Amino acid sequence: MRNSVKIQTRRKDPARFLPYAFIAPLAAYLLIFHAYPLMQEFILSTTYTSLLDPSLREFVGLDNYRDVLGDPEFHKVLRITAIYTVICVSGGVGLGLLVALLLDFNFRGRGLARALITIPWAAPPVAVALIFIWMYNAQFGIFNDILSGLGISAEPINWLDDPQRALPAVLFATIWQIFPFSSVVILSALQGVQSELREAAIIDGADKLSVFKAVVWPTIRPTVAILALLLTVWSLRRFDVIWVMTQGGPLGETNTLVIDLYRRAFVYLDLGHAAAVGVIGVCIALVVTFIYFWLSARADRAAGK
Amino acid sequence: MNRSWAFHFRILAVLAVLGIAAFPVYWMAVTSMTSSEELFAGSPRLLPDPAQIGTYARALVSTPLLTWLGNSLIIALGTTALSLLLAILPAYALSRMSFRGKLLLALGLFVTQMLPEAMLVVPLYDIFSRFALLDSLTGLILANTAFAVPVVTWILKGAIDGIPTEIEEAARIDGCSRVGIVLTIVLPLIAPTLAAVAVIAFFQGWNEYVFAQTFISDESLKVASVGLASFVGELSTPMDTVMAVGLTYTLPAVVFYLLVQRYIVAGMTSGGVKG
Repeated sequence: MRNSVKIQTRRKDPARFLPYAFIAPLAAYLLIFHAYPLMQEFILSTTYTSLLDPSLREFVGLDNYRDVLGDPEFHKVLRITAIYTVICVSGGVGLGLLVALLLDFNFRGRGLARALITIPWAAPPVAVALIFIWMYNAQFGIFNDILSGLGISAEPINWLDDPQRALPAVLFATIWQIFPFSSVVILSALQGVQSELREAAIIDGADKLSVFKAVVWPTIRPTVAILALLLTVWSLRRFDVIWVMTQGGPLGETNTLVIDLYRRAFVYLDLGHAAAVGVIGVCIALVVTFIYFWLSARADRAAGK
Repeated sequence: MNRSWAFHFRILAVLAVLGIAAFPVYWMAVTSMTSSEELFAGSPRLLPDPAQIGTYARALVSTPLLTWLGNSLIIALGTTALSLLLAILPAYALSRMSFRGKLLLALGLFVTQMLPEAMLVVPLYDIFSRFALLDSLTGLILANTAFAVPVVTWILKGAIDGIPTEIEEAARIDGCSRVGIVLTIVLPLIAPTLAAVAVIAFFQGWNEYVFAQTFISDESLKVASVGLASFVGELSTPMDTVMAVGLTYTLPAVVFYLLVQRYIVAGMTSGGVKG
């Protein structure tokens, strides 16, 4: 609003309605495709409804929520969602930051390197899942060949079917896909670091770590904070890579919230409980959204906008 | 001397990271061009075998690859067109005009950016079944646009914020209408951002999986993401063919992205990430 031009609005000025004409189609679209389905989801969550005949609904009040929240399996879902999200975000941001710092110097082919680094981010998630399934193959996958070549493990490991290893394997594939985005975003934030300040610090004899702490980090910190929240939201909503690689298995070890929701609806055909999980998920997403909103408003204020 | 040693070490580290970034896609290419006998032999083949290029011809014949890619392209282009159409004027209004409900719209755009697709898949399935939008590419375009348009609007608003208002005022005095100003003055100035959001919307459609998997059962309407995923756990298609299909789906996306990535980074950082 601070950037906008106040338009002259007199009582009979038809221009008064212009903003509403501009936003009406989008507002209607959001109401039809977000607000209405959300309301439907909420209504469904208070009923017993089977996918076999969704028109037959039996009102059960908050029973679905009681069932879901009291279910030890769902506690496991929440735990796995939290683990998956925290490791995706810390891995994605950490690796992204390291690679950005690594690429932030002058060398021939820098432009090419910065372009090539984004290949994982550009690849479709389902294709990523498929190639990683093949690379993780116990008998013929390149992963086990590399591990035995490096002398780490000679015996073939069945990555995606092993309850202990499936989540790390899925996390590895996910972080491989998302770290380029972090790198690119942090690289562009690094351009805001004032080179005079950095050089002055180096002349004063500061070592690399203190230069980073005193000059580089304060400049990129707001960007990293927003990035971390974006990655959090994306991890909460990621479906394709996990579903194609494991469908939530083995033994529910990769069953994140959205996977659990989908299984309840389209494998067990239980729309009511699925909707309850969905509403819980929406609440979690909303909390994260408000943190994001609040942080970016604070970052704007700090930047004096 | 010491410095140049550090420099070379750094270059090596860059090469290692690039190798890790590119390897899986490279491995897809190698696998697609390795004969079945060699795939299941003791040691893996590290370079593609040019003699196996025929895998791609076989993939075209033995899988509905072209149908899948065609449907994905329709979805991607439809999502792009509809998202831009819906987003441009509201982005301008959010940036330049003051009106009641503005904060509500901004908040709505923020919240909808955060909603997971999978969380709306149940109610959308229900709604689509009532309006005959299941098993229809139009339905998929509508659903994908719902998830592309918030971020597109938001980024465009950020780009319009960056244009000085004086440029428009001159045109306004000349009696140019608001819509005219948007079309003839604002849009050309934010062309790079328009390119960026078009690509973001395109990828939303090209990559999308959960709606396509759930809403489409007609084989002739399957998209590439769903077709590719259907190979998982299915043993009748040889692995080289599966990877050939995978690469044919991946490569256009990667090349397209590399061509325009400059604009995407600029667009995302000007409007998206900084809010």
